[in-house]
Amino acid sequence: MTEANAAPISTQRPYLTPRDTNAPKLPMNEKVSVRDVNFYYGDYKALKSISMPIYDKKVTALIGPSGCGKSTLLRIFNRMYDLYPKQRAEGEILFEGKNLLDPKQDLNLLRARIGMVFQKPTPFPMSIYDNIAFGIRLYEKVPKSELDDRVETALKRGALWDEVKDKLNQSGLGLSGGQQQRLCIARSIAVRPEVLLLDEPTSALDPIATAKVEELIYQLKSDYTICIVTHNMQQAARVADFTAFMYLGELVEFGETSQVFTKPKQSKTEDYITGRFG
Amino acid sequence: MNQVASVASRASAQSIDVSAMRRHTLWDAALRIGTRAAAITVLLLLAGVIVTLFKGSWLAFSTFGPGFLSTETWNPVKEEFGALAPIYGTIVTSIIAMAIGIPISLGIAIFLTELCPPSFKRSISTAIELLAGIPSIIYGIWGLFVLAPFLQAHVQPVVIAAFAGVPFLGAMFAGPPYGIGVFTAGIILSIMVLPYITSVTRDVFETVPPVLKESAYGLGCTTWEVVTKVVLPFTRTGVIGGVMLGLGRALGETMAVTFVIGNAHRISGSILAPGTTISASIANEFTEAETALYSSSLIALGLLLFVITFIVLAIARFMLYRLKQKAG
Repeated sequence: MTEANAAPISTQRPYLTPRDTNAPKLPMNEKVSVRDVNFYYGDYKALKSISMPIYDKKVTALIGPSGCGKSTLLRIFNRMYDLYPKQRAEGEILFEGKNLLDPKQDLNLLRARIGMVFQKPTPFPMSIYDNIAFGIRLYEKVPKSELDDRVETALKRGALWDEVKDKLNQSGLGLSGGQQQRLCIARSIAVRPEVLLLDEPTSALDPIATAKVEELIYQLKSDYTICIVTHNMQQAARVADFTAFMYLGELVEFGETSQVFTKPKQSKTEDYITGRFG
Repeated sequence: MNQVASVASRASAQSIDVSAMRRHTLWDAALRIGTRAAAITVLLLLAGVIVTLFKGSWLAFSTFGPGFLSTETWNPVKEEFGALAPIYGTIVTSIIAMAIGIPISLGIAIFLTELCPPSFKRSISTAIELLAGIPSIIYGIWGLFVLAPFLQAHVQPVVIAAFAGVPFLGAMFAGPPYGIGVFTAGIILSIMVLPYITSVTRDVFETVPPVLKESAYGLGCTTWEVVTKVVLPFTRTGVIGGVMLGLGRALGETMAVTFVIGNAHRISGSILAPGTTISASIANEFTEAETALYSSSLIALGLLLFVITFIVLAIARFMLYRLKQKAG
C-alpha cells in the first residue's frame, strides 16, 4: 500500500462500475489528507493539529459532541470559511497532491469538485429542474437535450426522480423537507464532484426520509468520496467505512468504523459511544 | 418539588380577585377599540383627501373636459390650462431618477451585504442614513448653486457634442446647456431616492439565510452568480418594494425639483431643456392662483399625481403577482 502502487489505480478511475462485494480488497487511496490543521475563529482555536486521511470512494464519518469542531473541519475542505473574515486555517490539506489551503487555490473550481450538503435543506428559489441545471450550467455549456439527461440522471441518483418527474417546473420550495434534502444532494452530484461533504444531512428529517438518504449515501460511495458529520451514532455505524471521533477540537480516534465502535482504543471514545457523556 | 406544591395550593386557596379580572377585561377592550379606531382613521383620512381633491378639481375638469389631460397649454392670463406638460415632466424625471438610482442603490446594497469588510460597513451605512436625513430644500439649494452650474459647464456641452447627429439620442440631448432642466432634476431625484432604495434592499439582502448562500458558493458559484441567481430571486419582493418606495418619493418630491427643473410648462424632446413637474407647478403657482379656475386646475394636478402614484402601486402589485406565478 505504498504511494507507488496506489497512484496508477487512482488515475485510471477503475471503480466507476458497481463493484463486486466479494472482490478482494483493493489498496486504499488517500483522496484528501489532513495534515496538522489548526483552525481559528478570531482568537478562539477551534481545531488543534488535526491529522487524518479521507479515503477514496469510502464514507468517513465525523462524530463527537456539539462544539467539538466536526462541522468546522468539514467546512475547511471546501474553504467555506473563506466567506467570513476572521476565520482562518493553518496547516496543510492535500487534495490530489495539492494543498487546498493554498491562498492561490481557485475557490470556485475547488467547490465544484468538493460538493457540500447542509444540515437544513437549501433549495434555491427556482424550479426543481433549474435547481439541478443551475450547477451544471455554471461550468459546462451543454445542449438542452444533454442537460435534460443530466438533470434526470442526477435526480435518479438522488432517489427523487419518481416523485418529481411530473412537476419539474414547479418550485423546489414546494417539496417536503426530505425531498428538498434529496434535491440538494442531487444538485451537488449533478456537477460531478469528486468529494461530497454532508453536514448532518438527516438531522432535520423524519426516520423514513433519513433511511432514504442513508441508502443514497450507500449507493453514492461507489462513485464518490464521502465525508459525513453526524450526531447519530447508529447512522455513523450504518453508513461509514471509517469513523473519526473528535472532542474539544482534537481528533481523539480515527479508524475503521467496526473497530472504533467495537474496540475503541481510547477510553474517551468508548465513553462517548456508550453514552456516558456527550 | 415541595415548594412548587405549596405555591400552587396557596394560589388556589386565594379567591380570584374580581376587580383585577374586570380591570384586565377593560384594558383588553380599550386596546381593541383603540387600535381599531387608529386603523379607521387612516381610511377616513384617505377618503377625506380624495373627496377634497375631487371637489376642488371639479371646476377644472368640467371646464376643460378630458382635454385637460392632453393639452400642453398652461396660460394663466387667458385661463387656459392643460396638464400634459407637468405629467410628462413628473414621469420623465422619475424615470431618469430610477435609471440612475436603482443600479447604484443595488450596487451599494450588494457591496454592503456580500463584499464589504466589516470595518468599512458601518461608515458606509451611516453615510447612507445621513443622506436620507438631508432636507429636500438643501438638495434644492445644492442642485441650483453647485450641481446645475457644474453640469452646465462640464457635462452638458460634452454630452450634447457627443450625441449630435446620432438619430434618437441626438434629439434627446439637444439644445443649449441651460444647467437647470429635466435632466438635472432627474439627477437630484436619483440622489434623493438612493438612501431609501439602498437601505430597504440592504435589509432584505440580509434576510437571505447564510446557508442558502453557502450552498450556492458550495456548488462553485462566483459572488456574481450568487447575487443574480440566488440573492435577487430570493428577495425580489423586498427589492421591488424598495424601488417602489423610491419611485413614490421621486414622483412626489417637490422642493428640490422646483429649484432645478426650470419651471417651464412645455414639453421638449430634449431632456436637457427646462420643464416642470406636477408638484413643482403646484408649489410654484399656488400663491398666484387668484381665480377659481386657476386654483381648481392646480388641485386637479394634485389629483392626477395621486392617480399616477396609485397606478404605479398597482403595477408593482401586478409585477409581484406575475413573479409569484412564474416561480410556481
